[in-house]
Amino acid sequence: MPDGPLIVQSDKTLLLEVDHPNAEEARRAIAPFAELERAPEHIHTYRVTPLGLWNARAAGHDAEQVVNALITYSRYAVPHALLVDVADTMDRYGRLTLEKDPDHGLVLRTTDRPVLEEVLRHKKIKPLIGDRIDDDRVAVHPSERGHLKQELLKVGWPAEDEAGYVDGEAHPIGLDNADWSLRPYQQQAVDGFWHGGSGVVVLPCGAGKTLVGAGAMAVAKATTLILVTNTVSARQWRDELLKRTSLTDDEIGEYSGARKEIRPVTIATYQVLTTRRKGVYTHLDLLDARDWGLIIYDEVHLLPAPIFRMTADLQARRRLGLTATLVREDGREADVFSLIGPKRYDAPWKDIEAQGYIAPADCVEVRVTLPDSERLAYAVAEPEDRYRLSSCSPVKIPVVERIVAQHRGEPTLVIGQYLDQLAELSERLDADVITGETPVSQRQKLFQAFRVGEISLLVVSKVANFSIDLPEASVAIQVSGTFGSRQEEAQRLGRVLRPKGDGRTAHFYTVVSRDTVDAEFAAHRQRFLAEQGYAYRIVDADDVDATA
Amino acid sequence: MADDVRERTDDQLAELLRRRQDLARPAPADLSSLAARASTRASVQRAVDSLDLAHLQVLEAALATSSPVDPAAVGVLLAVEAAEVEPVLDDLWTLALLWRSPEGLRVARTVSEVLPHPAGLGPRAADSFVEVPAPESVAALLEEAPPAARAILDRLTWGPPLAVLPPGTPDRVATGARWLLEQHLVFAPGADQLVLPREVALALRQGHSHAAPALHPPLLEGALREESEVDAAAGQQVTDLLALVDELAAEWGLRPPRVLRSGGLAVRDLKRLASVLDVDEARAAFVAELTYAAGLLADDGSLDPSWAPTPAYDEWQQHPGHQRWAVLAQAWLLTTRAPHLVGTTPAGASGTVNALGPDAHWPPARGLRKDVIDQLAAAAPGLSPDRASVATALGWHRPRRVPSSLDVVVAAVLGEAEWLGVTGRGAISSAGRALLDGRSDADLAAAMQPHLPEPVEHVLLQADLTAIAPGPLAGGLATFMRLVADVESRGGATVYRFSQDSVRRGLDAGWSVDQVLGALGDASHTPIPQPLDYLIRDVARRHGQARVGAMRAYIRCDDEATLGAMVADRELSPLQLRSIAPTILVSPVAAETVLEFLRENGFAPAAETPDGGIIVPTTGAHRTPLQRRPTPVTAQKVDDELVTTMVGALRAGEEAAAYQREQVASRPGPSLPSTDPTTTLAVLRDAAADRQAVWIGYSDADGRTQRILFYPDRVEGGRVHGTADGATRTLSIHRVTGAVQG
Repeated sequence: MPDGPLIVQSDKTLLLEVDHPNAEEARRAIAPFAELERAPEHIHTYRVTPLGLWNARAAGHDAEQVVNALITYSRYAVPHALLVDVADTMDRYGRLTLEKDPDHGLVLRTTDRPVLEEVLRHKKIKPLIGDRIDDDRVAVHPSERGHLKQELLKVGWPAEDEAGYVDGEAHPIGLDNADWSLRPYQQQAVDGFWHGGSGVVVLPCGAGKTLVGAGAMAVAKATTLILVTNTVSARQWRDELLKRTSLTDDEIGEYSGARKEIRPVTIATYQVLTTRRKGVYTHLDLLDARDWGLIIYDEVHLLPAPIFRMTADLQARRRLGLTATLVREDGREADVFSLIGPKRYDAPWKDIEAQGYIAPADCVEVRVTLPDSERLAYAVAEPEDRYRLSSCSPVKIPVVERIVAQHRGEPTLVIGQYLDQLAELSERLDADVITGETPVSQRQKLFQAFRVGEISLLVVSKVANFSIDLPEASVAIQVSGTFGSRQEEAQRLGRVLRPKGDGRTAHFYTVVSRDTVDAEFAAHRQRFLAEQGYAYRIVDADDVDATA
Repeated sequence: MADDVRERTDDQLAELLRRRQDLARPAPADLSSLAARASTRASVQRAVDSLDLAHLQVLEAALATSSPVDPAAVGVLLAVEAAEVEPVLDDLWTLALLWRSPEGLRVARTVSEVLPHPAGLGPRAADSFVEVPAPESVAALLEEAPPAARAILDRLTWGPPLAVLPPGTPDRVATGARWLLEQHLVFAPGADQLVLPREVALALRQGHSHAAPALHPPLLEGALREESEVDAAAGQQVTDLLALVDELAAEWGLRPPRVLRSGGLAVRDLKRLASVLDVDEARAAFVAELTYAAGLLADDGSLDPSWAPTPAYDEWQQHPGHQRWAVLAQAWLLTTRAPHLVGTTPAGASGTVNALGPDAHWPPARGLRKDVIDQLAAAAPGLSPDRASVATALGWHRPRRVPSSLDVVVAAVLGEAEWLGVTGRGAISSAGRALLDGRSDADLAAAMQPHLPEPVEHVLLQADLTAIAPGPLAGGLATFMRLVADVESRGGATVYRFSQDSVRRGLDAGWSVDQVLGALGDASHTPIPQPLDYLIRDVARRHGQARVGAMRAYIRCDDEATLGAMVADRELSPLQLRSIAPTILVSPVAAETVLEFLRENGFAPAAETPDGGIIVPTTGAHRTPLQRRPTPVTAQKVDDELVTTMVGALRAGEEAAAYQREQVASRPGPSLPSTDPTTTLAVLRDAAADRQAVWIGYSDADGRTQRILFYPDRVEGGRVHGTADGATRTLSIHRVTGAVQG
């Protein structure tokens, strides 16, 4: 197609011109194997990676389809080397298969003997495998299933896991569909996951990932272990499950620092699982406490390293990962792929926003100029203090006050990193503050009050980053953050993206100090926003009043 | 042979000159000298080296048969019909490697010098005066041969026909060799040598001269490609290549790498180039060498030389893509540079070859490149031959010219051709054919034009601070975009990213903020996104806030009125005073001069040290730095002690001289005066003729003169041969200091 919407670059990025009449068609053709990297207004950038290509293979696509999609929609000749590379990479998937054999248990089987010979000689893989059964097969101890998959991926021969799953202890779970139903994309996500067996569902914040989890539980109809980031998040899962499914209070247990209940559906925090006493993980028994039929990982991109190791031993159980982004700041995407599973469903934010399920957002960066005295202090500060110094500048406070005043009456969150800054803001704004030190009961009381509209302004620390569900927050003001974390930015934006009852536009403000590292980090985080298609504006503090 | 040449028609002579071009330069005076030149060893060597395998095999077979050459006999040796051999023989005659005598075709005598062992066959038995068994009986003899003898014969059968049995050869082998010698299957020209005579070899070869006669060129094998696909792929490669050259020029224009003392590019700089271009080092070396070969890159010739784009690059850059390609392609075809050698270690060298260095100059590269591409062009349209079959074909066409590294060279040339768009997906592109046909630059460019994407003149600006050019950008805009933004991804489109640094680079280059915004606005169909606009203005706000300059003197004074007076004073105008702050004036004139001027004009300035102290002159008058007092030269007096020592030394010297004289006198033979060379020559000649001895003085390699009683045999070529002290010696006449009849 000489005038196709796609430009294939030599560095394996694909540029999709969104205004092109065939853009949607092309997007659908490349989505299975290319990861959306950036989605600004005119041209979306996708990247072809080995993981992406193997994801596509896992989803049943073959190299020919991929090559065909590239050639069909490309505007210029596609670099031949790239096509060859695509075919080669995809061809590596599935040469090795993990299967269940009636006589030998778990076996690694190959369709290509030299590959098997190659991996068997690898010094990290050798200890993970058992006896050779015949030329094409070798026994694998079930406990090494995860490690083996991890190592095989590292050497570039990802194994297809067809060994199946244990059904686990059956437990009746149904969706309580009286006054709601799964949205079409949620249903697709559940179907995609169930069909694939295990894997990750990527949905933007506010798009109802909890419901995808509930949907998966209703299909599995088995005891379920849900791993979440923190206690607040655990309570929300519980509330949501009580509301949306046939589960009753007695059937849902919480396994956290405060309570240790093991019930047919158990919600545990990552923190409690990774607690160690004298170098021993004390709560590992939980994983074997019941014959779990499904394990759900909330916020997969935050999964701590020890959980990966534990997950390696849970390969016989169905695993569902939920996340807003597969981007991990530590680059362990490959472990997510091999241990939890390939990506099973992915929808870009803008699409779901366009369908009206998440609120449109107006992102504004407000730049304040530091007074001379602070500029001098900043200039002479040690590099490690500079971020704190610039992001906690007192000149930010009047600006925040003005923004809050502009949106008076709308549910507003002020989010920050440093406690003294938050305390000062809370005093000046006459608002309650929630930090890690706030007791859970107090926290939930405040959230409840915020939810029902008794209070419309809260100052929160980074505890608010994850999984607090504030349905009507429509304005978020960020005064400081964890350096340049893109993931945090996504979470915070997520706070205001829940659909609003009246379809209002959500507002997301970031207040930064001009000409300092604060602004540099902000630029890094905003790149993520812009890449997700959220146009942001930059205004000077003096112009704030004009933005309303 | 001279008669043969004289009898050729004009057309035949023209053909001969065309095919053996070395015969035409310088122009031979007449046909006899043409014939003489055609049979010189150098010319014949050249002609034989350029033969293809069919001609070479026929020529070898012709050499192996008896003279005159009988086509039927040649055919038998090659196991083909005589009719198949005849045209080849005629062709060899055209090349004057064969000539027609009244009796029939004969092989030019020099050919046998160039091919001493045709087809690996040894000398004829008759020529070596040895006896051999009859061919029919060879087979019977073989039956009886001990295994060691069989093994030796097997090694010698297909050549080379010569074996050396060094001392210490195992007994078994020596026994085998002895058996062969006894049976006259081999003969021994030297003590430890074995030679297989031609007759025996032919018998062993079942009467054939070549194991694998190859009178027809091998066919290229490979995949067939659609021609449109080939040209499209070539176009895509050219787009990439042009971008890489621009990228290289942009990088080296800003940060030119140093020229090594040995004249190349440092390995580190090549690595950096590769990472900037985001290609592997082989390709980076190719791009650099190609740019260099095309004259777009050169050593800037400064005192501390570095590699930089030439002015020709700026001109080249303004042309449309297809014309730029034509320049590069022509340069590639003709260059003797061999980028594939970069990074390899040549045999016998200690270091690796540097890009752009003298070692990457390899004259055979040009010929081999042409040969490889010729093979591709000769293949069926759209055929993408595999590397091995190209190497085989090349080996057939130039059997005596292929380098030992043929596979590597073929792979390198095919790779380069692909990068250059001469081939697309391995098959020659239509533009590649035009290049081979030697078409003009304009034709060449026209052949490539339809396959290059149309240049675009707009970019898409996005809020994430990227700009995307959805095709190759026209010259000026490309330069501008590279200046104000960094290239993030390349291919059919180019992705640029704006950052503080990149925008500042634009402002540093002299663009104003409005110009930058204006140029971006013109290049984009959509308005400039607010974040980009903000970024550019924000950088501009800070750009140039602090200013740096150099001055030779400053005047500071807390009293602004005094400074005001200085600026206003006409007498001080030579100082070119300028106020840069209320209390500071600066001047491009040296501080001493400023001080002097100010003092002369009624001011009372004090000099200041760089750290702000006052310079207080320690003495009132001017002094030189500390000097050393020169001592006058005087002669030492000759005293008694010196005189005594000296007289002693003189006496000792005299005694030594007397002893020396005595020694000379006691030597055998007459005294040797230094004689004139012509006389020396005459004396030596006479002595040689009369078989008499002469006394000569001979200055040896160490510069000492020896006296030798010499019996000269003959004098020739400035040397005299003869015996001295019972040993044969050859002496250069110019070293003989004198000669006297003995």
